[in-house]
Amino acid sequence: MNADNTANIPTWWGVAASASLVLVAIAISWRERLGLGREVGIAALRAFVQLAVVGALLLIVFNHGGLPAAFAWLAIMVGIAGVVAARRAPTIPDARHHAWWAIGVAVTSTMGLLLALGVIDAEPTVVIPVGGMVVSTAMVTAGISLQRTADVVEDQRASIEARLSLGLTARESFLEPYRKAVRTALIPTVDTTKVVGLISLPGAMTGLILAGVDPWVAIRYQIVVMYMLLGAAFISAVLSARIAQGSLFDDAERLVRV
Amino acid sequence: MPHTDGPAPELFGLEDVSFSARDRLILDGITAHIHEGHVTAVVGPSGSGKSTLLRLLNRLEEPTAGRITFRRTALSELDVHELRRRVGLVAQRPVTLTRRIDSEVRAGEAALTDDDVDRLLSQVALSHIARDRRPDELSGGEQQRLALARALAVAPEVLLLDEPTSALDPKAAQSVDRVIAGLTDVGLSVVLVTHDLRRAAALTDDALVLEAGRLIERGDPASVTYLEDA
Repeated sequence: MNADNTANIPTWWGVAASASLVLVAIAISWRERLGLGREVGIAALRAFVQLAVVGALLLIVFNHGGLPAAFAWLAIMVGIAGVVAARRAPTIPDARHHAWWAIGVAVTSTMGLLLALGVIDAEPTVVIPVGGMVVSTAMVTAGISLQRTADVVEDQRASIEARLSLGLTARESFLEPYRKAVRTALIPTVDTTKVVGLISLPGAMTGLILAGVDPWVAIRYQIVVMYMLLGAAFISAVLSARIAQGSLFDDAERLVRV
Repeated sequence: MPHTDGPAPELFGLEDVSFSARDRLILDGITAHIHEGHVTAVVGPSGSGKSTLLRLLNRLEEPTAGRITFRRTALSELDVHELRRRVGLVAQRPVTLTRRIDSEVRAGEAALTDDDVDRLLSQVALSHIARDRRPDELSGGEQQRLALARALAVAPEVLLLDEPTSALDPKAAQSVDRVIAGLTDVGLSVVLVTHDLRRAAALTDDALVLEAGRLIERGDPASVTYLEDA
């Protein structure tokens, strides 16, 4: 610990020393015949390379790119997040587009509101890490929402068609399945918010404390982040399911086969 | 031998209707007319396309070729919600949509009064069931009759029934048959899919016989040779 209460950042020798824990994981896999040794090694190497590349790029963005580069960075993250989220629901037509829209709106609206209100600084050093957390949460909830939507379409096809056969609209017929899908997607985020800080310190707060920020100050940032993630999760889950609904019914309001 | 169209107005007209799904031809060139005020049976072995034919009549499926009319207007030109209210469909295995009997009857028509609900339940011989009971607790025959009440609640002109008694024991099947027999008394037309040939002959005025997706015969159930061979 430094005199100003900031933590010592590990040196590259320290990083190399921490690789011994990867060797521990590989050794355990070999000892217990888990068959994961090669995967662990590749994963650790990938993590190192990816983080090194990200770190180098962030250095360039922070020093030379400014806000436009930070927003471009976020846009790339949203693009990747949409692809990853859509993989959970390969049977839903145009799932990737639904995920992009949902995640994009969730990130834009939550970050936009807090930037406009001046709650968070419009600096690349804030926009990228905070935006990254929002993208990540929105990606997870969009993916689960799409996946559950695909599941309920098949599980509840008969009841959806029974409602259609009464002359109800596609939206009315899909209301209960849609609510079930969205609720399932949001429960983990709500539960995480309920227990934040009780089991482990969340990431933003951890980083700030390591940087020497007073905990009583660090929690303010963490609370802002938690509420932002809650809002983004709801927007992403609801939008992805609602937009997906449009591709599940054709022009004659028939439920398509997925 | 082709059946001579009777004097009753035409309800459905099918002109060379075919339907394929996943590269499989399910209905092949069906041309037929279904008339108002009749109970028309669609009979045939499993896989002959009977259920698909019903689903085409309320646009849960779209023909891949040919044309279907309802009261001489192409189905595609009718508002689909209005069509489905006028042409009710009760699927083979009933599903329950709500947690109460009265809510179930109101599923398609929320504005029904308590008296309307009572009348409909009486029409399907379920007036003895408590209104707040869970629909999924009913027996198979009771659930089928409840599905009929739910479909009747939107005041359709015709009911499409897909094998309404196939999963029921004989006593439950008879209770549903009695309800079906009473429907034309209140001005409803019925198109009834069944593989039970005797039931078709007893209940219906007209029969369409499908085999491997083709219409092979039609006519009065008493004279259709396919039914005699069964």
